[in-house]
Amino acid sequence: MSEFFQATVLLGLLTAGVRLATPFLFAGLGEMLSQRSGVLNLGVEGIMLIGAFVSFFVAFESGNLYLGLLAAILAGAFMGLLTAFVSVTMKAVQGISGIGIHILGLGLSGLFFRLTMGSISTMRGFPRLAIPILKDIPVLGRVLFNQNWMVYAALLLVPISWAVIYKTTFGLKVRSVGENPHAADSLGISVTRVRYICVVIGSIMASIAGAFLTIGQHEAAFVNNIAAGRGFIAVALVYFAKWNPLGVLAGAFLFSMIDAFQLRIQIIDIGIPYEIPVMLPYIVTIVVLALSTRGRVLGPTALTKPFVRGVHT
Amino acid sequence: MKKLLFSLLVLVLLAPGLAFAGGAAEVDDGVLRIGVILPSGRDDMSWSQGMYEGVSAVVANMGAGNAQMAVTENVPNPVDAGAAIRDYANQGFNIIIAHGSQYQNPLMEVAADFPEVTFAHGTAFETSSNIFAYDPQAQLGAYLFGWLAAQMTNSQVLGIVGPVRAGDAIKYNYGFIQGVEAANPSVRVLESYTGSFGDNIQAKEMAEAHINARADILTGTAQQVVGAIQAVSENDGVYWFANDTDQSPLAPNSIIASQAYSWETVVQYMVDSHMAGKLGGEIISLDLTNERIQLVFNPVLADLVPADLMAQFESKKADVASGAIQVRLPE
Repeated sequence: MSEFFQATVLLGLLTAGVRLATPFLFAGLGEMLSQRSGVLNLGVEGIMLIGAFVSFFVAFESGNLYLGLLAAILAGAFMGLLTAFVSVTMKAVQGISGIGIHILGLGLSGLFFRLTMGSISTMRGFPRLAIPILKDIPVLGRVLFNQNWMVYAALLLVPISWAVIYKTTFGLKVRSVGENPHAADSLGISVTRVRYICVVIGSIMASIAGAFLTIGQHEAAFVNNIAAGRGFIAVALVYFAKWNPLGVLAGAFLFSMIDAFQLRIQIIDIGIPYEIPVMLPYIVTIVVLALSTRGRVLGPTALTKPFVRGVHT
Repeated sequence: MKKLLFSLLVLVLLAPGLAFAGGAAEVDDGVLRIGVILPSGRDDMSWSQGMYEGVSAVVANMGAGNAQMAVTENVPNPVDAGAAIRDYANQGFNIIIAHGSQYQNPLMEVAADFPEVTFAHGTAFETSSNIFAYDPQAQLGAYLFGWLAAQMTNSQVLGIVGPVRAGDAIKYNYGFIQGVEAANPSVRVLESYTGSFGDNIQAKEMAEAHINARADILTGTAQQVVGAIQAVSENDGVYWFANDTDQSPLAPNSIIASQAYSWETVVQYMVDSHMAGKLGGEIISLDLTNERIQLVFNPVLADLVPADLMAQFESKKADVASGAIQVRLPE
C-alpha cells in the first residue's frame, strides 16, 4: 500500500485525472450552455463520436491535425444545427430527439469509418506542450502545465464560460431565455436565435471533446464507439454542477480523479473485487449529488420546454 | 401529442440500420448461408475481426455461388443478438455463429426452434444436437508469453490490462501469470480490469497506470486493447504481447508477439460437419496441437528476443502443446 503513496504514482494519478477530465469539460460546458438556454441536448455522445471520427479522418488524410480539428468544429456545427432544428424549430420532445441524434452519430461515425478507412489506423496526435516556467512549479507544474494544448484550452474555457454567462449581455439573454422565454421575447430577445446559437456552440464543444479522444492523444486512433458513454456522463455532470461552469469543473475533476484513482488502486491488489473500484467514480458522484440537496439550485425553468409565442407550457 | 409523434418519427427515421451493418441473404437451394453476430465491429483488430476474417476466408474459398455470408455487428447485448439470431434462422441461414460467450441463452432458445440449422457460439461449453461450442485455449499461448515476458523484463514488473474478469480474458490472464511464476516468481504482475470490452480510452489510461508503476511489458485482451497498445507505443522501452489476432500492424515497434486464433479452420470444420449431416454436439477446441492457435512473432522486433531464449521458448511451447507442462484453468 505504501508504494501507492510514492510521489511518482501520485503525480501520475493527478496528471491522468486532469487528462481524463478534459473531454468532460469540453462536452459538459457546451451542454451547460445549451441547457441554460432551455434546450436539453441528449445527443452529446453521438456528436462526440462524429467529432472523433471526422477529426481523425481529416487529420489522417491531410496530415494536418489542425485541419482535423477544424473539420470537427464544422461537423459539430452541422450536428448542432440539426439538433436545434429538431428541438427548437420543430419543437420535438428533446429527450427523444436527443436519443435519435445519439444513434445517428453512432451509426454515421461507424459507417463513414467503414467506408473511408476500413480498418484501425494510428497516427501521431497533438504532443505534450510543456509551458515554460510554469512547468517547473513543484507538483502543479507536472500535473497542469505538462499536458497538450487541448487540455489547457478546456481549462481556460471554464472561466471564459463563467464570464460569458454571468458577465455579458449575451449571457444574460441566454439565462433569461432559459428561465422565462416569454418575458425575454417581450423584451425583444429572439428566443429561437439564442437557442440556436447555444445549441450550435454546445455541439461544437461536444465535437471537440470527441476530437480530444482521437487527435488529442499522443498516439491517435479512431475505433467504433470510442466515446464509450462519456457524452452521457457529461450531460449528468451539468446537473451535478447545478448549471454552473465552476460546478462542471468540480464535477469533471471529481469523477476523473476518482477514475484515475480506481485504475491505480486495482494494480496494487488490496484484495477487493475489481468491480468495486470500477464502480467507485459513479458511486461517489451519486452520493455527492444526493447529499448536496441543501441549497439545491433548480435547473433553468424552461429547460426542455419548446417556446411558442403566446402559449405557456 | 403532435410533438411526441414528431419526436418518435425523428427517432424512427434516424435509427434503423445505422448502428448495424450487414444484410439478409435470400433463400436459394444449393448455397450455404452463414450468419455471423459480432459483439463489436468487424474491424476491431481483435476478437470480432478474427472471426469475420475467418468466415470470409471460408466463403471466399467455397466461391460466391456455393456460399454466402451476412454479418450483424456491434451487438454486445444478448437480447438484441437473440433477435438477430432468430432473424437469420427465419431467413433460412444454414449456419449461425454468435461470436461471444454472452449469447449462450438466446442461442440455446432459438436453436431449439430450428433443429435443421447449425448454431455455434463461444467461448462456451454448452452444446446440443445442432449447437457447436468453441473454446479457445487462451491460457496456453498466454502461459508462454508470460514465461517469455518474465525473462525479458528489465523492471521486473509486468502488467495485464483486462476487460472484465470472465470468459477468454480470465483464461488468458490466468495462463500469463502461471507462465511468469514458472519463469521467475519474483517478477511482479499487475493485474487490473477496465470493466468494459470496448472502452479504448479507459484501457489506455489503465496501461498508463501500469507503466507509471514501472511495468515495462504489458498484455491484455478484447477489442479495448487498441487503446492500451497506444499507451505502450507512446513509451520507449515498453512492449506488448497481443491476443486474438496478429496485432503487430497497430504498433510495429511495440508488439513482440501475438496469439492469433485461426478461426478459418474452426469455421471450415463446422461447414464440413454441417454438410456431412453433423449439425452440432461438439466442443471445438482451439489449441496449439491442432494449430488453431498460432503464436506470431513480429519480425520488426525479432532482435529483441535472443536466439537462445527463443530456442528455450520453442522447447516450452512443445511442452505446453504436448501436455508435459499443464496450464491450469480458473476454478
